[in-house]
Amino acid sequence: MDNIASHENWKSCFSEIGPGLLLFARQWTRSAADAEDIVQEAFVKFWRRNHSINNRALLYATVRSIALDFIRRDKRRARREATVFADTDSTVEPQFEWEDEAKSALAAAVSCLPHDQREVLVLKIWNELTFSEIAGALGISQNTAASRYRYALANLKKSLQPQ
Amino acid sequence: MNDFPELENDLRALRPARPSPVLFERIEEAMAKDGKASAASNSRWSWRRFTEWSRVHASDVGGQLGGAKEDRTQTPFRFGIGLAAAAAAVVLLLVRINTDQTRNEDKEIAQVAPASETTAVLPALSGGSGVKGSMPSNKFVPSGATQVVYSTRDEGLQFAAGSRQPLRRLRYQTQQTWQWRNPSTGASLRVSYPSEEVVLIPVSGQ
Repeated sequence: MDNIASHENWKSCFSEIGPGLLLFARQWTRSAADAEDIVQEAFVKFWRRNHSINNRALLYATVRSIALDFIRRDKRRARREATVFADTDSTVEPQFEWEDEAKSALAAAVSCLPHDQREVLVLKIWNELTFSEIAGALGISQNTAASRYRYALANLKKSLQPQ
Repeated sequence: MNDFPELENDLRALRPARPSPVLFERIEEAMAKDGKASAASNSRWSWRRFTEWSRVHASDVGGQLGGAKEDRTQTPFRFGIGLAAAAAAVVLLLVRINTDQTRNEDKEIAQVAPASETTAVLPALSGGSGVKGSMPSNKFVPSGATQVVYSTRDEGLQFAAGSRQPLRRLRYQTQQTWQWRNPSTGASLRVSYPSEEVVLIPVSGQ
């Protein structure tokens, strides 16, 4: 039984995967506070059930499931979120830290990606999941995950090219 | 996939924002609270150290998630459902047994009560003595009898067969009521029924 970590070491574990988890949760929420709520609930749930750390897909699937529940919980909120997603998808942007200001264009370009492509990109780049794991977390096929990733990179490349 | 290695490197250079320190405190609090609640179950699990997690995390673990996900999540879930179903079945069984017992008791009471009043009343009415002393204390004893005549009709004189003396025929319509009482419990029983009686009274001429 490879559980996520002992109670004493969960902080080390979380400090490594926390930023990626938070970034993933931000795909469905606008505020960092909501994303932190989701990550907290998912991480504690995962820890409580003593799941294997090998099962990273399950951890991210848990985050995704809780995030969707979080949105559905309050209909008014869900409506507001849906409106935001529909009208200005780009406003729901992942938060990044960068030292070089030139990277801000790249961050902005990431936030402009379609939601399904950005979801795969976040899991692949900043959470280092394999396509197999991404497929498990999102409930899609491995080929679809790889395809979305390629489309995301292509779209980024295209958007960063000088006009 | 490897058509954009530079782009991938640039993307990796962007670092996701770190969680706030408050989140660590909140998770710790939630775990401590949850740890107390599930201390018993935790003792059954063997917790692995973070060193192992690090080792596993460093290696590629792709391709083994689908099956593991189902096994890990479904087995305790199914076990829980089975346990809940078994508990519900036991509760239903107990409720049914209790209900059946109550029904049987009700049946006995309903059948016994009239039987006891019959055995208590009939000797008292026919014999008219010694009922109280001979009956057990939980039996019904006669406590009253009334006969109310609410209609009398004179049907005139007539001669009975073979008789030279005229007879007046009177028809009484009455309501008779009998009462029994159980001295030990204070319960009472009342039977009331209508009756009709025809009386022939000899008429003597003066």
